[in-house]
Amino acid sequence: MIKRFLSRFNLRYVHSLVYMLQATEYKVGDYFSWLKRVDDFRFVEKRKKLVKTLKAKTLLVMGWLIWIVAILFSVFYSSIFGYVSTIFLIILSPYVLAYALGIIVLLGQFVQIPVENVIISQARKVLIRHKATRIAIAGSFGKTTMREIMNIVLSEGKKVAAPPHSYNTPLSIAKFVKELKGDEEILIFEFGEYYPGDIRRLCEFVKPDMGVITGINEAHLAKFETLDKTAKTIFELADFLGDKPVYVNGESENARAHARKNHIIYDRNGVSDMQVKKAETDLSGTSFTLAINEKEWNFKSSLLGLHQIGPLTAAIAIARGNGLSLGQIQSGIAKTKPFEHRLEPIYGEDGVTILDDSYNGNPDGVKAVIEFLSSLKTGGRRIYVTPGLVEMGARTKEVHREIGRELAKARIEKVVLIKNSVTSYIEEGLKESQYEGEVIWFSDALSAFAALPQMTAKGDIVLLQNDWPDQYA
Amino acid sequence: MPNKKTIAVIFGGKSAEHDVSIITAHIPIINALKVADKYNVLPVYIAKDGRWYSESSMNDLDYFKRADYEDRLTGDKLVDISLNGGFKIIHRGLFSKSIPIDIVFTAMHGTFGEDGSLMGMLRMANVPFVGCDMSASAVAMDKIFTKQIIAAEGIPVVPFVWFTRYDWEKMPDECLSEAKKLNWPLFVKPPHLGSSIGMAKVRDEKGLRDAIEVALHYDSKVLIEESVENLIEVTLPIIGDDEPQLGAIERPLNKSDFFDFEEKYLSQGKKTGLSQGSYSEIPAKIAPDLAREVETLGKKTYRALGCSGMARIDFLINEKSNNVFVNEVNPLPGSLYHHNFKTIGISDIDLVNRLIAFAEERFTEERKLTRTFKSEILNKIRGGKKGEN
Repeated sequence: MIKRFLSRFNLRYVHSLVYMLQATEYKVGDYFSWLKRVDDFRFVEKRKKLVKTLKAKTLLVMGWLIWIVAILFSVFYSSIFGYVSTIFLIILSPYVLAYALGIIVLLGQFVQIPVENVIISQARKVLIRHKATRIAIAGSFGKTTMREIMNIVLSEGKKVAAPPHSYNTPLSIAKFVKELKGDEEILIFEFGEYYPGDIRRLCEFVKPDMGVITGINEAHLAKFETLDKTAKTIFELADFLGDKPVYVNGESENARAHARKNHIIYDRNGVSDMQVKKAETDLSGTSFTLAINEKEWNFKSSLLGLHQIGPLTAAIAIARGNGLSLGQIQSGIAKTKPFEHRLEPIYGEDGVTILDDSYNGNPDGVKAVIEFLSSLKTGGRRIYVTPGLVEMGARTKEVHREIGRELAKARIEKVVLIKNSVTSYIEEGLKESQYEGEVIWFSDALSAFAALPQMTAKGDIVLLQNDWPDQYA
Repeated sequence: MPNKKTIAVIFGGKSAEHDVSIITAHIPIINALKVADKYNVLPVYIAKDGRWYSESSMNDLDYFKRADYEDRLTGDKLVDISLNGGFKIIHRGLFSKSIPIDIVFTAMHGTFGEDGSLMGMLRMANVPFVGCDMSASAVAMDKIFTKQIIAAEGIPVVPFVWFTRYDWEKMPDECLSEAKKLNWPLFVKPPHLGSSIGMAKVRDEKGLRDAIEVALHYDSKVLIEESVENLIEVTLPIIGDDEPQLGAIERPLNKSDFFDFEEKYLSQGKKTGLSQGSYSEIPAKIAPDLAREVETLGKKTYRALGCSGMARIDFLINEKSNNVFVNEVNPLPGSLYHHNFKTIGISDIDLVNRLIAFAEERFTEERKLTRTFKSEILNKIRGGKKGEN
């Protein structure tokens, strides 16, 4: 308590507050709840650093000004009410500063929102005139992978454009639209869902011609509260498309439950008239055969895991629908490879393979990765490193216990857990399933990473599952 | 945590390999022990002047990387050791503190550390310690003893002769004529030095005389042996006690007249910017028959010398005749040869934990031996106080 209080009186306090605002993407509600949780204000920047944008710099200057003015004011106040009041005001000043910065950001949004609306409305006009087919992707997980697969495969026969990074909000999509040349034949959009109505607004903005729903699960459950609300929000895409094609990932139970009769279901067994046969996966990639009109076509992707076959077949179906030949599609699938931080293999000189899955923080993704890990026959040990998953809301306990049970079932040799509010549930799940391997604890992810050279030997596979951003401290 | 055992890692020492020992102690021993978090790790550092220190900050290799670390030592408190009722590290001063040690991880190379001296002291203190015991260490540190013992067990060694400084001073001609019975070129070595100090390859009598003089400057004995032509050098690290487990056969990629794995391993990466893995070939690409021979001789040598815990055995192979010779035995290979064990699936933590387990097993077995017995000898002895006879 005293440490927490005193940690506010340090020269990096303003810096820490601005970092917290930036890390929460200036969502003031999230920032206020983080403020309540912080134990020590000296150490909030652990995983990332403050990026000195104009907005961040302005807030830094304003933060210091507020603090200095508050202290000067308290000194001035003392001449009237005495030193006790000065001390009281100085004690109060960091609290005033923390909330004042939040309020400044809120007020700033009154100016920012109209400006953003102008940018979005200009992009809308560009999109109305644009003749490209628009494909929208919505879902709790797997959107970026789906976007990248489609982008690579469709590019074999069409001019394709898709927003980079995780550009999935109206403003970021508007920025992408501004860069379009006008001759694109297919545009692929990833729709981010944070609150009910988000997907509907994006649909009205982009006006997609077809959609892919990659799955529904507990990701962002803390915000949606129930899976039903999540599903309704994501299916706003299907509502908008009506009779137009909607591909739904059949491997996600929640998505399949909400799919309608006219929707096209895809999974590792195939899609529409294409059946998957001879599916295999290992560290070199995933291969399968598709039976199409009594003819067989072989596909090989460098993506890892049988769970990738569903999205790959969906992309094949969409590419066929858009007029690509199966030869073009085969060569497109061959070009797909693990995306950054998404089950991306890194081969060390010491013969240790690191599977970087740090951008995968959803229960379905975790289940698929554990399944992949258990299927590997390398002779070495499998080491699973995780800080757990964030924003699982009321399902936090069960989701993490299930991860523990899955790890025990898959007989993963070592489980490395980072101490926080959720990882003890993984340990509970492990114990429940009589896990026979070794559980190793670390106080933070960085010390776990630093210890990997001591823990590993040739042939070992280390899976880094999910990242735990600072704002969930 | 009160339940954790305390492990002392002893390193440094009055030896030419003082600095190598600091590296061995930290990479991998202390680093792995810290990560495994099963023990309280107590660094025990013996400076080049023989003084003993133990500061928690010495658990970090950075402490020794500072250019002025030796000056800083004067500010650190010296510690005492006690062998009475176990091994204890005692911090002096007003609030003197005695820390009982449950296990010792010896990480000292060369004289006093690897030659059995430290092991003798630890035996007296009745504390389990990692690595070869006193007798195996003492024998392995003397290249002549090593050859004599393993040759007696039928293990092939390169033909050799030896003599003392006294012999050389009194009858140099006899010494020379013995040496000249060997096939040239010859290697002249001081038998106790671990690295290539005092060692020479000679091709004529003049060179031989000079090399003997030099070698006897470093040692009281000299070893002269034939050189192996069409040479392939390989080494084999081994861990375990009665059922030893072999590491991978390793071959250095840098050829030189003087074969010293320690120096090559620890300096090569730095000089060339190569990673540790690229200075040598693991596993060595040698014929399967030769590899089997190396493994068989490795096990036989390990057993013949009574090695336990860990040792590394160096071999010389004549590539044309396919003759394999055991060259020398190193009871504490630099950095525990952890890079080699990693290639066969043993991580640093596994390696360190296994070595500790071997130490504890050996200690338990030793305790079962009967060391004392009731004797009547004192009563039977003649003589005594005046008037008793």
